[in-house]
Amino acid sequence: MRHTLGSYWRLLGAQVRSQLQYRTSFVLDVLATMLITLTEFGAVALVFERFDDIQGWTLGEVAFLYGLVELSFGLMDMTFAGFDPARFGQEVRKGTFDRLLLRPVPVTWQVLGSDVTLRRFGRVALGVGIFTLALNLNPLVWTVGKLLYLPLVVLGMVLFFGGLFITGSTITFWTVESFEAVNILTYGGSFLISYPMSIYQEWLRRIFTFMIPAIFLNYYPALYFLDKPDPLGFPAFAPFVAPVAGGAVFVAALLFWRFGLKHYHSTGS
Amino acid sequence: MRLFWEITRRSFRRHLTYRTAALAGLVTNSFFGLVRAAVLVALYGDREVVAGLDVQSIITYTGLTQAVIVYLSIFGWYDLMNAVHQGEISADLLKPMRLFSFWLAQDLGRALVGLVLRGFTIMLVYALIFDISYPAGVAQWGALVVALALSWLLSFAYRFLVNLAAFWSPDAKGIGRFAFVIVMFFSGFLMPLRFFPDWVQTVAYLTPFPHMLNTVVEVYLGVVTGSALVQALLAQALWAFGLVALCQFVLSRATRRLVILGG
Repeated sequence: MRHTLGSYWRLLGAQVRSQLQYRTSFVLDVLATMLITLTEFGAVALVFERFDDIQGWTLGEVAFLYGLVELSFGLMDMTFAGFDPARFGQEVRKGTFDRLLLRPVPVTWQVLGSDVTLRRFGRVALGVGIFTLALNLNPLVWTVGKLLYLPLVVLGMVLFFGGLFITGSTITFWTVESFEAVNILTYGGSFLISYPMSIYQEWLRRIFTFMIPAIFLNYYPALYFLDKPDPLGFPAFAPFVAPVAGGAVFVAALLFWRFGLKHYHSTGS
Repeated sequence: MRLFWEITRRSFRRHLTYRTAALAGLVTNSFFGLVRAAVLVALYGDREVVAGLDVQSIITYTGLTQAVIVYLSIFGWYDLMNAVHQGEISADLLKPMRLFSFWLAQDLGRALVGLVLRGFTIMLVYALIFDISYPAGVAQWGALVVALALSWLLSFAYRFLVNLAAFWSPDAKGIGRFAFVIVMFFSGFLMPLRFFPDWVQTVAYLTPFPHMLNTVVEVYLGVVTGSALVQALLAQALWAFGLVALCQFVLSRATRRLVILGG
């Protein structure tokens, strides 16, 4: 294990050094990443001037959901970049993934160490910014419980999104080319839970409750933090299962990944 | 001119071969469209009309914006940049055709496949799920075709111009990312421009971006009519041909400083 972790850190170190080599390029990338989040959230915020609320959720409350997702997705995207399905699909297609299988270090750690997208730091920073805005627009009544639970919610979401990335990458073992529909899981999932789940039609909400437990990761914790009533009538513990739900998705994804690895056939090119 | 259409035809057929990818993309675009429609409908709440758009129009809007993603390469286009950085551009420059026309013809083929496989199909999915609106009458359909054609030309000229940065900078990709994110905001892709405060709309209309997408949407939904419609199409044409001219100018500068490293 020490050998494995040592290799992992070395791989990461090499990535960090190489990315910082091209200063201008790196700075531009960070700024562009920030601009994406800024324009997307900005568009929503500007439109709120006209609409005031979205089914009883104010801009500050939506910013709470949005900021947490951006922050968590950004953190996940930095650490799990090796599992980004778009990137990983390329490795499978070109056959470069085979190289990892030959090395004497567990392959999961190698994939994890194969990329760390420092530029996503921009997304994390803006996530924090939007979250701060949320707290300003809509001051929370903080309790010890809330303070202790907040990092666990972020951890739950990081594991959840990480699980989605791993699942998406595993699918490319079979589809070979990067499969655009995988974006529904990753970017679709994060887009969906940036808004209150109560606004979606029943069937959509069911899918993201029972098939993918996304509703417990952001929406229910937010109800607890914002002291909002639950319009859907879930059990009272629903806001507190975020880390468990995230962990479950992550473990399931790892099992699927193991299964995929066993059945992997190289493209042979 | 025959050469131009031949290249377009071949590019069309080449892009047509990626049908599984198109299907996967269709599923993705439809999903995002559905979620965006849900968000906008929830924002409307009890309101019937906001800034001249009723609920039916706003649902149709989410379909339209998803339908033109591939047609207009909304998420970015770096092909020319890559050709410059990898040196393939030298082969293109040797071809008995102007570089701009060569890439224009290829992009036309790509865009038409996008329009058929990813544009019409998404609207079809929308028509099955929602009660969407359609342009009424020959005049509006005609205006829509003109607006769509001009939006593609304008979008291509802009993308080409952004890609020309590769002749000057090895960091062109970073510049490109900026250039394309700005389009998403100011073209009305993220939200209809009419929903924004007046000052944002004023700023947007100082740029070519609303003419790339917002005009198509407004023509389709029939919110611009009469002389305003003619003006909108004229503005599109002016920006499109203006940017095409600018491309020629910058391109002539770019090729003069190009150095290809042999390998």
